[in-house]
Amino acid sequence: MLKRTSIATRLFIGTITFLGLFNFGQTSLAGERIVIASTGGAYDRALKEAWFDPFTKETGIEVVTVVATNAEMRAKATAMVKTGNVTWDLYLDGEIQAASEAHSKITEDLTDFCKQFSGRKDLAANACERGGVLLQSTATLLAYRTNDAGTPHPESWADMWDTKRFPGGRAFPNFDDPWRVLAAALLADGVAKDALFPLDIDRAFRKLDEIRSDVTLWWKTGDQSVQGFRNGDYSLGQIWLTRAQAMQNEGLPIGWSYKASFLVGDRIALVKGAPHHDNALKLIAFWLNSLAAQAEACEVLSCTPPSTDAIAMMSEKARRSMPNADDIRDYIVVPDAQWINANAASLLQRWNNWVR
Amino acid sequence: MRTSSSLTSMKALPGFASLFKPRSARVFSPAASWLLVMPLLAVFAIGFLYPLAKLVDLSFSEGITATYGRLLDDPLYADVLLTTAAVALSVTMAAILLGYPVAYAMARARKRTAFIVAACVFVPLWTSVLIRSYAWIVLLQRNGIVNTLLIATGLTDQPIKMLYTQGAVTLAMTHVLLPFVILPIFSVLRTLPDDYIRAARNLGAGPARAFFLVTLPLSLPGVFAGATICFVLALGFYITPALVGGPGSMLMPTLIGQQTTVLVDWPFAAALSTVLLIMTLLVVILFRKTLSVQKGFGSVH
Repeated sequence: MLKRTSIATRLFIGTITFLGLFNFGQTSLAGERIVIASTGGAYDRALKEAWFDPFTKETGIEVVTVVATNAEMRAKATAMVKTGNVTWDLYLDGEIQAASEAHSKITEDLTDFCKQFSGRKDLAANACERGGVLLQSTATLLAYRTNDAGTPHPESWADMWDTKRFPGGRAFPNFDDPWRVLAAALLADGVAKDALFPLDIDRAFRKLDEIRSDVTLWWKTGDQSVQGFRNGDYSLGQIWLTRAQAMQNEGLPIGWSYKASFLVGDRIALVKGAPHHDNALKLIAFWLNSLAAQAEACEVLSCTPPSTDAIAMMSEKARRSMPNADDIRDYIVVPDAQWINANAASLLQRWNNWVR
Repeated sequence: MRTSSSLTSMKALPGFASLFKPRSARVFSPAASWLLVMPLLAVFAIGFLYPLAKLVDLSFSEGITATYGRLLDDPLYADVLLTTAAVALSVTMAAILLGYPVAYAMARARKRTAFIVAACVFVPLWTSVLIRSYAWIVLLQRNGIVNTLLIATGLTDQPIKMLYTQGAVTLAMTHVLLPFVILPIFSVLRTLPDDYIRAARNLGAGPARAFFLVTLPLSLPGVFAGATICFVLALGFYITPALVGGPGSMLMPTLIGQQTTVLVDWPFAAALSTVLLIMTLLVVILFRKTLSVQKGFGSVH
């Protein structure tokens, strides 16, 4: 009996030993460096090649990246500042969150730093603000499966709700930031772009009730929206332009409409009490000053860089997939960050109640 | 009895000295026992009890109405708490029903078979929860292995939606938690001598009767231990529901995660965690009560 079970017992002991092993973190190295947190993956690679590597070459300062989701970064940076144990210098956060009060509590005010860029005509008006430097802008928009030539393509959010003319499953994001879905519902219900904010939440949920049974995918991560499209889980979806572009590059039959889109961007924020404060400022100044870096990164990620001169350096193909001036003026919705931040908690609670 | 040998010295040095005198040569003296337990207790107090107390303290930091009041205001939180308990319960039941036969096989089978069964239990345990959850995505997705198989065999002609449902969450959680149920049951079954079964059979019981009257009652402490571990772990499960669940499978850890990372409202997150903690403690106490009753029942000869 003892012999019969001894192997299982040994496996058991082996497991306990295995679980007990600790992973000691890497000890920090001497020398000049900057720690930046970003969302990883293809995004990280593009930034490293276009921005960090040339910077290291020019200044000799090493750039170390840490990977986390935007929400994790926000939580971790808050914890660092609260406990006074700051190990990060920079992190990336959404344009909307970067305008919040909570954000200003854990990041350095960059107003003085921004003065040096006030004379730059090529930079977007919001390229440098107190909450951070604009990394890039992109869109959350309506993407669809392109069928045979001749059939109409959906253009507006109203088309997204029109299941007779455009049959097939629908996809919407469900990553705890519900304003985009509510705003799309209101636009589909006939609310004018300029009258969108403050959002009429009750009306938005009534409109969402209409389409709920046709939603085949509530995606939480960008990868889910890609995998769902590949699998044919949905035909029309509200997804990120960067992911839609990646799928088109892969050769998938996907198209999108700027007439149904929201402008979103990423900002580079400097953590309060950053250990390599001055070097970190050099790195963000390098981003705004190096048109080549902006053009190269956005070429890969299909984003809009903060500088118009950088846009001019991008390839014809990349520029064609960008929204044109008319789209921006007439259709693309710029979210009211202040309202969204002020109502974030109650919005999420209403959303949780509705979505489950 | 055994203490009688040290009776004389006890008389001479009563009270304090007894701390350093073991009651028998087979056990340590109380002082030595405490000394040996001290390092663990210290780690436990600093690494667990102190942060826990801080967490509960944090939940009251903005006044009781701002956190616990808000929790009661919206039925959402009570609903999700109930769902969480229900999911944990169904996962525990499924894990016991599936895990018991495996534990039994591990304890009774011949060397080679036992090794294979044990490997099937332990290898998943060494694999990251993340990877095991992703494996379920591969299996259950629209063009996944299960759907392809169903269509190929003609059972359905349309792919069935399995991923991002409550069923997928229960299934994947059961799979992830199965080893935690199997191991305690296995360790109890292993200590049961074959002689008990032989005696039961010898007295005229069939194999089924011998199992239900002898083996099963004797293995109940293992079952209850496994059930407790499984239930408590299931209550706090975060990764698996996030990966394979849809909007319908909203659990308490999901809400806590939202408050912690998305809204950075830590007092409210702490309040939600405290409520979940209290529920977990209640369940553990309840299980222990049942367990001690069962133990008494099991040891009646």
